[in-house]
Amino acid sequence: MNGLFGAGSRALGDADAHAREGAKVVTAGPAISLDHVSCVFQSKNGGGQLALEDISLTVDQGELVCLLGPSGSGKSTLLNVVAGLVKPSSGRVRAGAEDVLGPGPDRAVVFQDAALFPWLTLEENVAFPLKLAAVPEDERNARVESLLRLVHLWHFRDRHPHELSGGMRQRGAIARALANDPAVLLLDEPFGALDAQTRELLHAEVERIHSATRKTMLFVTHSVIEAVRLADRIVLMGTRPGRILDVLTVDLPRPRHSADAEVAELALRAGAAIAREVDKVAREEEGRV
Amino acid sequence: MSESASSLRDRGKTAFLRSIVLIALWWLAARAADSPLLPSPADVAQSIWISAKSGVLFRAVGTSAARLVVGYAIALLAGVPLGALLARSRVVKNAIGPLVLGLGAVPSICWLPLAILWFGLTETAIQVVVVLGALLPIATATESAVSHVSPSIERAARTMGASGATLLFRVTLPAAVPGISAGAKLGWTFALRSLMAGELLFVSGGLGQLLETGRDMGDTALVLAVVLAVVALARVCELALFSPIDREIARRWGTANA
Repeated sequence: MNGLFGAGSRALGDADAHAREGAKVVTAGPAISLDHVSCVFQSKNGGGQLALEDISLTVDQGELVCLLGPSGSGKSTLLNVVAGLVKPSSGRVRAGAEDVLGPGPDRAVVFQDAALFPWLTLEENVAFPLKLAAVPEDERNARVESLLRLVHLWHFRDRHPHELSGGMRQRGAIARALANDPAVLLLDEPFGALDAQTRELLHAEVERIHSATRKTMLFVTHSVIEAVRLADRIVLMGTRPGRILDVLTVDLPRPRHSADAEVAELALRAGAAIAREVDKVAREEEGRV
Repeated sequence: MSESASSLRDRGKTAFLRSIVLIALWWLAARAADSPLLPSPADVAQSIWISAKSGVLFRAVGTSAARLVVGYAIALLAGVPLGALLARSRVVKNAIGPLVLGLGAVPSICWLPLAILWFGLTETAIQVVVVLGALLPIATATESAVSHVSPSIERAARTMGASGATLLFRVTLPAAVPGISAGAKLGWTFALRSLMAGELLFVSGGLGQLLETGRDMGDTALVLAVVLAVVALARVCELALFSPIDREIARRWGTANA
């Protein structure tokens, strides 16, 4: 246990140092801001489908915001717009002070399927973005070690992704996403495919990593409990078109637990708020069958 | 390690027993037939021994193997980039995609008459047939492998700042390696088939020609000896080259097709 705490505090020290460096350059202001963003997808029959309609949202630096909604609410599209992987049809997207024109290492993404490179070991995966950024080898190695210790995977550094469990792969993907010290971490239903127990462990990890690194995080989920468990703020999204229904501030003390009474109560309220949307999706899907 | 060693020994034992049974059955059939058309294992062994001692067999194996290596190398060097281009460039795909599919359906030996008209009875003519035989399956498999690289792998790389050649060479192609390797293996068997067909049809000094010699002289034992040599050539390449590559790919990529 001692080793783990030692590793944790070392990573914390790293993060603090980075935060101090960052504070010199980055002027205060939102980490992400979206102004009247709409997104139309061309469908095969020539018509357009409005995936996102008039989204305006700001995420403050160090804030953990969950996008919560049923499938078809455009929450993943919204995350991809911020990542620069999807171009909005209209509106303005900014990361820090800069307009988002495409993907960039300042906004790292953790995907639902982890998307670790199968031909590389875990260590090489985490080193990959650092190599792309031409970080010198000594610094790279030190950084990879502190990241893998942060997610408690240092002992598994020589494994290939297929030799790791789903939960370990996601932790590895988080370590890789943090490698280039991004301003923003975007997580697209990262634990959607995991079992409940692993999820619970990873929620604690995300909470710990968030408090250790103070990274701005945008976290897409369809799980109400997950959103309440993790978020500073929850953005509730509705379907057809994808739009923001409401924003809930989660003012609960940390660390939280999914079984906490307050978490359950708030989850109930958030659940009720999107219940109509979930119901609508269910009806539409039944109607289509 | 000891587990895999003992399973290897078991497999060796099984293979040995299987060979003994097969040879015994063959020997019994040859005894029953009692005809020069079905030589016994001993006749074939003798034929191998004689042609090996005179050097004819080794020269033929050497000639064929050299052609195979050169033709296959050219097919790989051209086929993989062609496949990647087909997968990644809409213009190239529209321009020559149907052509590649169409030509791929033509057995490569059909090109031999044209190759002979163009290049005469030369090494080049036979090489053209081998290259064409292997190139198209390699290109088609590479195209499919590159097209099927998981989109999230490439997206992840793009969010790290990879694009253009960096994305292609450091992410997309490595991700496609298992599929490309399957295509390369397929290409190898096509190259071998094309070469044997080509050598049978024209005087050329390889194993194919030795087969023809056996037929001309009614020497069934020699024909069977050459067939065994072809089997040996194919198996040696398989065990020495493709099996280790497959194992390494399975170890690193986690694919099950070991």
